Amino acid sequence: MLSIRLAWRNLWRNKRRTLITLLALAVNTAVLITTFALMDGYIENAVRYATDLLTGEAQIHANEYLEDHSLYKTIDNPDEIIAKAKSHGINASPRVYGFGLLSVGNKSAGVMFEGVNPELDKQAFTLHEHLQGDGRFVSNKADKGMVLGKKLAKTLNVKIGSEIIAVVQAADGSLGTDIYTVSGILKTAGEKLDRSTAICHIDDFRELFVMENAVHEIALNSFRGVELEEIKPLLGTTIDGLEFKTWRQLNPSLSQMVDMSHVGMGIFATIFFIVAGLGVMNTMLMATYDRIREFGILKAIGTSPMAIIRDILVEAMMMSVIAICIGFVLGLATSYYLSIHGIDMSGVGGDVTFAGIAFDPIWKAVIHPASFIEPMAMMCVISVLASIYPAVIAARLKPVEAMNHV
Amino acid sequence: MDKIININNVIKDYGQGDVIVHALRGITLSLECGEFTSMAGPSGSGKSTLLNIIGGLDKPTTGSVEVDGRDVVSMSMAQLSHLRRNRIGFIFQNYSLIPVLTAYENAEYILVLQGVSAKKRNERIMDILKEVGLDGMENRFPRELSGGQQQRVAIARAIAPEPALVLADEPTANVDSKTGGALMDLMRKLNEEKGITFLLSTHEKIVMERARRLFVLKDGLIEFDGSPKEGINIA
Ligand SMILES: Nc1ncnc2c1ncn2[C@@H]1O[C@H](COP(=O)(O)OP(=O)(O)OP(=O)(O)O)[C@@H](O)[C@H]1O
Ligand SMILES: [Mg+2]
Repeated sequence: MLSIRLAWRNLWRNKRRTLITLLALAVNTAVLITTFALMDGYIENAVRYATDLLTGEAQIHANEYLEDHSLYKTIDNPDEIIAKAKSHGINASPRVYGFGLLSVGNKSAGVMFEGVNPELDKQAFTLHEHLQGDGRFVSNKADKGMVLGKKLAKTLNVKIGSEIIAVVQAADGSLGTDIYTVSGILKTAGEKLDRSTAICHIDDFRELFVMENAVHEIALNSFRGVELEEIKPLLGTTIDGLEFKTWRQLNPSLSQMVDMSHVGMGIFATIFFIVAGLGVMNTMLMATYDRIREFGILKAIGTSPMAIIRDILVEAMMMSVIAICIGFVLGLATSYYLSIHGIDMSGVGGDVTFAGIAFDPIWKAVIHPASFIEPMAMMCVISVLASIYPAVIAARLKPVEAMNHV
Repeated sequence: MDKIININNVIKDYGQGDVIVHALRGITLSLECGEFTSMAGPSGSGKSTLLNIIGGLDKPTTGSVEVDGRDVVSMSMAQLSHLRRNRIGFIFQNYSLIPVLTAYENAEYILVLQGVSAKKRNERIMDILKEVGLDGMENRFPRELSGGQQQRVAIARAIAPEPALVLADEPTANVDSKTGGALMDLMRKLNEEKGITFLLSTHEKIVMERARRLFVLKDGLIEFDGSPKEGINIA
């Protein structure tokens, strides 16, 4: 194709100028791709931490339980729901909650007791791995072991092995009290968990609160094996009359952050597109200006304005495709490196929390092809759009004046 | 024979207000198909202006211009572009080739726009390049050719689309007289073999004496129109 050869050779007439623009476009693309990969990694990490640690992808409660955390608003059919979830590959962990007091010597603190089924909870969540030092999670058999939040342990001034006294008002109105042993202390896991959570075996909890078989919450987690929107339909009628909430509803601030970061990425990309577009426009304007005489001759011998526009657009397209390919390889390589090694944020500010949830201080990128294709295609389109202006200028030149141009 | 160019009382003024230049003051002229005509005249007499108007690159201030039976004055840009692409070949003074295209590609460019098939393009261009004496040089870029050779490429480019008319503005001005003579012989040969009408502007005797008809412009008017033998002394 003559048009292609013409564009290709024209592209390299001013090697330095073309190379500089090419490099700028390539770096632009690479930075965009890397940024997107980091943002995706950040979001995914935040969501993973928010869901996998203990919240789950969704939770089921009795109607209005979340409003007052009343001891008496329990789920009637937990085993049926758990079995149904399991049959679809969704892990489910039943939990019970109750307020009370923990005290050691002359120190005491108000806490939220949380009873878990350790076997099921370990399948569904990673909280059991989120322990300091040589602490252990709650044993599978109820043994009055307790796991405390980091700040709570500090407030009570306890270590692993310390004995603590729990005092609660039981479901039957009586005063429930028992002695527990600290089996583990959580690492930083967000303000609420750090300050006021005490986790014990569900059977120990039921004994303390005098609540045979009670379940307040079933937390579900498929580790993203099941789409968020599909979880509810899969549970079918087992959750009739109960409240079903996804993590997006349970943690609206995180949900909003995720949405906002997508908007942020869009704005960021737009700025990059504008910069890239201006770069291409400038280069093509200069290239056009250098060739005014030639365009005059071409028009004089009968080249239509459209053909001239096409020639210039082909040239711009070539430049941007080359640049974007280079940028793609660069960006992919950087993203890949960052997806393996990540950026260590611990030096920047210690514990990293995001919407109330603590997470991994190593910030890793995630490579989602879908996140790149669009900006790359967009970059290509922008480059071509940006060269329309110079192309139109060239196409509208008056042949005689253009030919007399030196 | 049909008239390829028919000009009636063409006036061209440049500029406005006090600084009007009267480039053409009333030109009436016609060329038959197949003519080989040169146009002489001192610098500033309006030769380029007239060629540009005939080629539809410029509009006359008043007057009518018909080329190939069509009224050029009222044509749109797109129509003019089409007319030039298909019916008119242009040869300019110098450096009119596209530097990044080879001799072959320069000649090919318009044929591509005309939609001529690759095979036909190849046949036609190889023939023409041979005819203009550039056998074996088809892959050279303009910078690898002498001035005379470059003008041969320009001639090849002008006639490759098989136009009815070739307009040449001082085609030999930048080559030595021997080369100029050879270029003229070539154009004369193409005129005779293919029947393409040529209209050339010039300052040079070698061009005038090879034409079959000569007219001389002076201050935007035709001062002489006749045989080169008589006119050459006036020009
Ligand atoms: N674009 C223009 N604007 C103003 N005046 C012009 C323009 N083009 C040509 N002229 C004037 O019109 C007159 C005729 O110019 P033209 O170029 O046609 O002469 P020419 O015979 O081709 O001269 P030369 O032999 O030097 O090429 C000159 O006085 C010139 O200065
Ligand atoms: Mg002139």
